[in-house]
Amino acid sequence: MAFSAWLTAHYEEKGPVRWLAFALELVAAVTLFLLMFLTCADVVGRYFFGNSVDGTTELTEIGIAILVFAEMPVITWRGGHVVVDILDKMWGSVALKVLGLLSAFLMSSAMYFLGVRIFELAERSLRRDEITELLEIPVGYIVQYIAVMSWATAALMITYGIYHQIIQNRD
Amino acid sequence: ETVLRVGSWLPPTHAQNAVVWPTWAKWVEEATEGRVKVEMEYGLGHPKTMFELVEDGAVDASFSYHGYVPGRFKLTQGVEQPLMGASAEAASVAHWRVHNKYFAKAQEHDGLEVLALFTHGPGQIHMANPINSLADLKSKKIRLGGGVQGELGKRMDVTAVGAPAPKVYEMMQQGVIDGVFIPMGEQKSLRLKEVAKHVVALPGGMYLGSFAMFISPDFMDGLSEKDREAIRSVSGEKLSAMAGAAWDAADKEGLEAALADGVSVNQVAEDGAMAQEFRDLVKGMDNEWVAHVADRKVDAKAALEELREIARSYGK
Amino acid sequence: MTTALIGFAILLLLIVVVRIPIAFSMGIVGFFGFAAVQGLTFDNIADFNWNSSLSMASKRIVDTAQEYSLSVIPLFILMGNLVTKSGLSQELYRASYAFLGHRKGGLSMATVVACGGFSAICGSSLATSATMAKVAMPPMRKYGYADSLATASIAAGGTLGILIPPSVILVIYGLLTETSIRELFAAGFIPGFLGILLYLAAVRWVVWRNPEAGPCGEKFTWKERLQALNGVWGVLILFTVVMGGIYLGIFTPTEAAGIGAGGAFVIALARRSLSFGSLFDILTDTARTSAMLFAVLIGALIFSNFINRAGLPADLLTFVSGLDVSPMMVIFAILLIYIVLGMVFESLSMLLLTVPIFFPLVQSLGFDLVWFGIVVVVVTEISLITPPVGMNVFVLSAVLPDVKASTIFKGVTPFWCADIFRLLLITLVAQISLFLPELLYR
Ligand code: NA
Ligand code: NA
Repeated sequence: MAFSAWLTAHYEEKGPVRWLAFALELVAAVTLFLLMFLTCADVVGRYFFGNSVDGTTELTEIGIAILVFAEMPVITWRGGHVVVDILDKMWGSVALKVLGLLSAFLMSSAMYFLGVRIFELAERSLRRDEITELLEIPVGYIVQYIAVMSWATAALMITYGIYHQIIQNRD
Repeated sequence: ETVLRVGSWLPPTHAQNAVVWPTWAKWVEEATEGRVKVEMEYGLGHPKTMFELVEDGAVDASFSYHGYVPGRFKLTQGVEQPLMGASAEAASVAHWRVHNKYFAKAQEHDGLEVLALFTHGPGQIHMANPINSLADLKSKKIRLGGGVQGELGKRMDVTAVGAPAPKVYEMMQQGVIDGVFIPMGEQKSLRLKEVAKHVVALPGGMYLGSFAMFISPDFMDGLSEKDREAIRSVSGEKLSAMAGAAWDAADKEGLEAALADGVSVNQVAEDGAMAQEFRDLVKGMDNEWVAHVADRKVDAKAALEELREIARSYGK
Repeated sequence: MTTALIGFAILLLLIVVVRIPIAFSMGIVGFFGFAAVQGLTFDNIADFNWNSSLSMASKRIVDTAQEYSLSVIPLFILMGNLVTKSGLSQELYRASYAFLGHRKGGLSMATVVACGGFSAICGSSLATSATMAKVAMPPMRKYGYADSLATASIAAGGTLGILIPPSVILVIYGLLTETSIRELFAAGFIPGFLGILLYLAAVRWVVWRNPEAGPCGEKFTWKERLQALNGVWGVLILFTVVMGGIYLGIFTPTEAAGIGAGGAFVIALARRSLSFGSLFDILTDTARTSAMLFAVLIGALIFSNFINRAGLPADLLTFVSGLDVSPMMVIFAILLIYIVLGMVFESLSMLLLTVPIFFPLVQSLGFDLVWFGIVVVVVTEISLITPPVGMNVFVLSAVLPDVKASTIFKGVTPFWCADIFRLLLITLVAQISLFLPELLYR
């Protein structure tokens, strides 16, 4: 089937993680496209029709959060975060692997504990009925989303991320 | 000696940071006989975040604008309603008293101890090009902040453009916006005098903006009963009045700076055409607010009447 | 001061030696540092109230991920990706090559100038570097330029973004110090162009030392050159729309990013260079790069909360005020502090933390605040390419995952030296900054 061939060619991940990566990136891609479209519609509306899209700023803010945190698990498990590699030549490959595992552990822990606090903040915000100014969207939902994606990042990093590091280093 | 950290925003030169906090800091140090020392800290994050940073103890005290957290703060919009016709100082005192009598039980400041409530000076119209009536504002691109400004913009049929206050200068200069609703003090502190050369000052302004200064209950718990009471004795109504007065003074400085820089300021008289136009325009806004806060289960109508009554008779 | 310095040392250790991703290094040190200043010790680890530090860090994550003005990052990167995909950037570089290719390092010079032009409209150094990396890197590689020179021209050229107006940083400096913003904008022009000239000299120096880094091609005839120009209309129209739209006040610089991306999308459609598959690739590639940059920004903000709470800015003021030297030496002491701080700070947080502290002192010494603003911005630019934490360098390593940060830092050294030279000039000759504002407004 053409689509599954495309998916295999595009995603280095294995098994169900490949589908997960595709789903997350699809969310990010659609959001980004809508962000672009929204800004253009707002400007065109304001300039030519004297009427801008209500709540463009709010939707843009929510859009960035969706975009960034949909990608967070993917770039994290792929080891995509920016690293200073000045000393790489000095370290042996075993040492680099150990450092990689240490990083994975620290990153997962950080994302897990922050996720817990972010989720608590989201619940508090929902309890207090905090909404956006114009569209009156409950702010807490987007914060909950960030919390859930932080947990997803932690869980996938400590499992698939480490597996990915090990097979990558073996190649 | 205990250090009380105040997290602040706005430039350090702004009246809130150059006058209000330092004056209160002096009061606190005197009242506690030097046992509590106030220190300022900038750059902690977005102004709206101050409410929660203080609640969770990341900083001990701060201030913020209620309009940054829509939904949570609805009753505080009472003082912002048009046609208050009072200075920031008078409105601030009324704000504090009415809050304690009517609004405090609705728990909008849940998790915080409120030190003071105050308002900025009356919001006015700052334009790149002159206008002769409020009807001229139709379809003009106006930067609107939160709160009652949105409703005003709707009634004036302007094209609303959202942006944080520090962006206003750039947007005015480039012509992305034709004007902005903001207090007179910003002619100086946001340097609008360079780009917004035409100001329409309605009598008593169009609206006010509600702010709170607050402190962490945990921090207060950590103090002795004596010091707690000392801090409270220099806060409340006294602090609210002082803050309002400082913002009034900033407006006066803003007006002077604007005039010195050649900004044309149209001071509309009480019976001027634009003042009448404005009164017609905002008819019924206060009743809409009363209906909007019905779920808070307080007597908002009586509160608003008392608020106006206190503010208008203040100092007379 | 000690706490802050220990924090710095641990951060450098984690980033350089332990090799933890920079976003997480800064976040973790910032988090524990903040907790330590709040009273965390080894004895009370179990019953410490973590909520204040957790909330501080969580709020930075939640707020930064929803910061409207940061929408320029994904949208300008998207524009760069679309321009490249539709073949516009290759044509632009083919034209540049036709005119400049016979000179050693000609394309690098074109890149520096293009970065200067783009930064003039964009106002964000991060967005400039990210966009130009997408546009300039593939063609420069195609013509055999060394990665070190190619990336360094982009990273350095991208720093011009915060000096050539419009500039968010200059507006914020103006508001912090109550200095005229239009004078600051006017003052930024000459130092900005001086920056371009000195970067061009740096390119010359690099190819003089190592001709392989920027090989020269054949000389084109004028007929061939004019033919090559045929392909650049698309890019010219796009940039004119983006630039003209800002200057005519049709949209804000923030919105310009979305308009630029939309325009590039329309051009790519018109040239039939997009399929669903390639559009998906462009969008996901942009999203991945943006997420990496947001992570670094959030980490930097958490770290700056710690440094601020540890009282470093105030301690530095005490230190500088205590120096018994001439006013100009005080300025140099301040600049030295900026260069050191710039090694780990992101430009906006550095400005917010230090300017309110230093400007009253500078003012009391009788210096012009417009001049000081320009000096501060230039030194902040330098910090963007100063190892080990130069934000522009990280932007490039995020955008170009196959180039190592160390390669970029190595390539950037001559540009860094050119910047230091410019800083000296601007500091010692105030007229470079003050000539235009005095002519126009004083
Ligand atoms: Na710029
Ligand atoms: Na730096």
